[in-house]
Amino acid sequence: MTVLDRDLAERAVQAAMKEEADYVEARLHRNVEQLATLKNGEVEAPGYGDTLGLGIRVICRGALAFGSTNTLDKAVVSDLASRLARQAKASAAHFKDKVKMSREDVHLAKWRAEEKESLDDVRLEDLISYLKELDAAAMGAGVGTKLASRLFYIFSDVEEKYFTSSEGTKIESRVPRLMVYGVLTAAEGGNVVQRTIQYGESGGWESLKRMDLQSKVVKESGMVLKILKDAAKFVPGEMDLLVGPEVAGIMAHESVGHPGEADRILGREAAQAGESYLTADDVGLRVGSNEANVSDDPTIPHSYGYYIYDDEGVRARKRRLIAGGAITELLQNRETAQSYGVDSNAAARAVRFDREPIIRMANTFVEPGDYTFEELLKEIRRGVYIRNFMEWNIDDKRLNGRYVGHESYAIENGELKGLVRNPVVEISTPKLWSSVQARGRETEFGAATCGKGDPMQGAPVWHGGPHMIVKDVKMGAR
Amino acid sequence: MNLSSEDIIGWVAAKCEALGADDYSIQLFYNDEGQARFSNGSLTITNRLLNKEVDVYIAKGRKRILGSLSSMKKESVTAFVEHLFSSLTAGGAESDFPRLPAGPFSYSYNGDFDPQVDHFDLAGNAAIAIEAAEEAGAKRVAGSLSTNHVRLWIRTSTGVDRSEERSRFLLNVRSFTDRDASGHGLSVSTTVKGFDPEGAGRVSGEGSKSCRHPREVEVGDYTVIFNPTVAADIVQRVGQSASAFGVDAGLSFLANQLGKTVAAEDFTLIDHGQIVNGVGSRSFDDEGVPTRSNVLIDRGVLKTYVHNSTTAVKQKAELTGNAGLIEPHVWNLEVAPGDYTLEEMIRETKKGIYVTNNWYTRFQSYATGEYSTLPRDAAWLIEGGELKHPVAGIRISGEIPRQLKSIDALGKERNWVKWWEVEVPTLAPALRIPNVRVTKASG
Repeated sequence: MTVLDRDLAERAVQAAMKEEADYVEARLHRNVEQLATLKNGEVEAPGYGDTLGLGIRVICRGALAFGSTNTLDKAVVSDLASRLARQAKASAAHFKDKVKMSREDVHLAKWRAEEKESLDDVRLEDLISYLKELDAAAMGAGVGTKLASRLFYIFSDVEEKYFTSSEGTKIESRVPRLMVYGVLTAAEGGNVVQRTIQYGESGGWESLKRMDLQSKVVKESGMVLKILKDAAKFVPGEMDLLVGPEVAGIMAHESVGHPGEADRILGREAAQAGESYLTADDVGLRVGSNEANVSDDPTIPHSYGYYIYDDEGVRARKRRLIAGGAITELLQNRETAQSYGVDSNAAARAVRFDREPIIRMANTFVEPGDYTFEELLKEIRRGVYIRNFMEWNIDDKRLNGRYVGHESYAIENGELKGLVRNPVVEISTPKLWSSVQARGRETEFGAATCGKGDPMQGAPVWHGGPHMIVKDVKMGAR
Repeated sequence: MNLSSEDIIGWVAAKCEALGADDYSIQLFYNDEGQARFSNGSLTITNRLLNKEVDVYIAKGRKRILGSLSSMKKESVTAFVEHLFSSLTAGGAESDFPRLPAGPFSYSYNGDFDPQVDHFDLAGNAAIAIEAAEEAGAKRVAGSLSTNHVRLWIRTSTGVDRSEERSRFLLNVRSFTDRDASGHGLSVSTTVKGFDPEGAGRVSGEGSKSCRHPREVEVGDYTVIFNPTVAADIVQRVGQSASAFGVDAGLSFLANQLGKTVAAEDFTLIDHGQIVNGVGSRSFDDEGVPTRSNVLIDRGVLKTYVHNSTTAVKQKAELTGNAGLIEPHVWNLEVAPGDYTLEEMIRETKKGIYVTNNWYTRFQSYATGEYSTLPRDAAWLIEGGELKHPVAGIRISGEIPRQLKSIDALGKERNWVKWWEVEVPTLAPALRIPNVRVTKASG
């Protein structure tokens, strides 16, 4: 573990407090990153990055200021912290809504994600060798036909932080992460099928073995080719929809997690990521059936969105977002918690030293039910099974979502039939969650990079769930 | 000890030469970014981000690597360069292993820099935008106002030694009169003189006031008029698809289209390495090659992809001054103006929709350009050549290649667009496209 110069962070806090700040936090934040790229089997120039800097957040007279520097020099850091306090004071008249933080416990802690084979010892050569194995797996898939193009990235990141605040909280942490992203393309004549894949976990080199990506890439590559060859035109209509864990996960992320972000509800992201269909008074509102149960949990071991303390120094815990169809909890940071009169549930994250902590999901998922996959299938007389997806989006109040199937099958009388091409579900959030009829017992997660904030912050997250039946859906086709 | 800019460049170059690099490119970035964010008519945070970064590309034998470092301390820089040399990795095919392009080159920095960026009143100008929006009818106003002062240096093993300064002023403002009635305004400039927070605020406020009580429309095919903000989002996807890296990787709907008609005859798309008021401007690319203006699509015909030395060798093409050391990319896009006013476009439209902003564009296949996107903020149904009523809750889908070929009118007025959804600065006119699929959610 890197020895971060804690004294610099403490100096920043002291310097801002001398300028009559009401609250100060300083975060030394280092990301050591490696990136390897393989395009159609050829190695592109790999990359190595070492980013270390200090982020400082100050509240003074109800005004909030954030600043950062990577000139880690005592005088520069003290000067920036003082400047931020003065900047906050000077801008206070423009803060009609004064910023305050909820009262939270003070913590002295040191935590790290489990890492058996340290990423500090992993070299770019190791990443490239791994990608070559994946590429070979992709090219080995299919019978008689090959993918038209393959693009793979592997990204490692060791994130180390030291957080200190004027309230006395001091937390040191380390989270290593590995992520693999790929684009697989099959083409014949004018017919093209494409699939993007992403896998990620926190942990050391051992997490690649745990994810077993070779076999997943073989299956994905084979399926891209099979869809190109075999998938029939999808016939739109009203039917039951069975979604796989990947689709349940993105639905949970987009239409439960995002609208449940308290900062969005209060309008803080209105000009960028938008607002929410929920209002500040909607905790307790019924938005789904009894089968609609969605949670977010940063503390899942090995998860891509793993953390124990957030970037405001609050201890993380599982959040039940929807239970039995009703909104039970919003994602809160200390600022929004103060507005709502609740405790923060530790949703504040910053992805680099030069970004303010904002409310983020961590690992968002549909809670499992008690059906086997076969039992779920038997519930459906006429329907479609969307195992995973490509195109998706949702409006900026999170009411109008669209998910276009990739690997998708017709269902007739409780049995899977042939592959169908690009079924489209375009559904309102209340209709979606009110129509959840049954959930599988097995949960799977997928990795993603969630974008929010200005300047933009791409945060590592998992989303997932079990298989899930959505009853009586009006399905379209691309 | 923290090194000065000249010291860092010189120190890294000396280390690269001492360690036997065949090629190196060293770039140093200083970025002083200020920002005022606001919502509900009130500031929510002010930001001051002071960043320095040194980016290094090294090639030795048949091995190469890219690195970036944020520390400017001499011992950190030394350890970083030594680490890069110990991590050099073999790559590239035998035939197209790239060497950095050798000059001599001729540069022409256009000097589009405003020193007032260092003393710009962020909170005061945000207040001007908010006030203008409220005066135009907004009940709630949100947005962000950002400034950047970027200083950039490059030195390469091929003798390039350049530096330049850039400034930019960006405002994104969104106004609301009701929860489902909002308007959007932008101001994008390299100078204070060209920056108009009052105008952007007024446009967003007027938009929010004019589109109250939106109604639903039937699912179907409509003629859609994309205002410049929406057009810019689609156009940036075209520009990004012109990256030769993306073409090889299966990420481009422009693959195998060189010399072919890919757009309507009136559609011409240019990428400018530097252009006055282009906030993505650079006079040199990451390989030290002078940037230039490249006509990507000339009256509907695809003329070139954009290249770095790797893709140019691989595709036997000329350098275009667009490196990206791994992926070449466009800098500032310009769509040539048409000859329509917005009113003329609307007047000729029997059944259509006019959209003023969009977000969340996603693809079913980058290779085919099958996509959908969501209009947001003010949008109107057009019937019989007139704006009938505001609309909400719609989605646009289709294939960009087909839509490009279907453009039947381009506006004569153009706006610079760069905001949260439009990463590539784009000077775009309004575009009118017939037979665009419009859908909405069930339930």
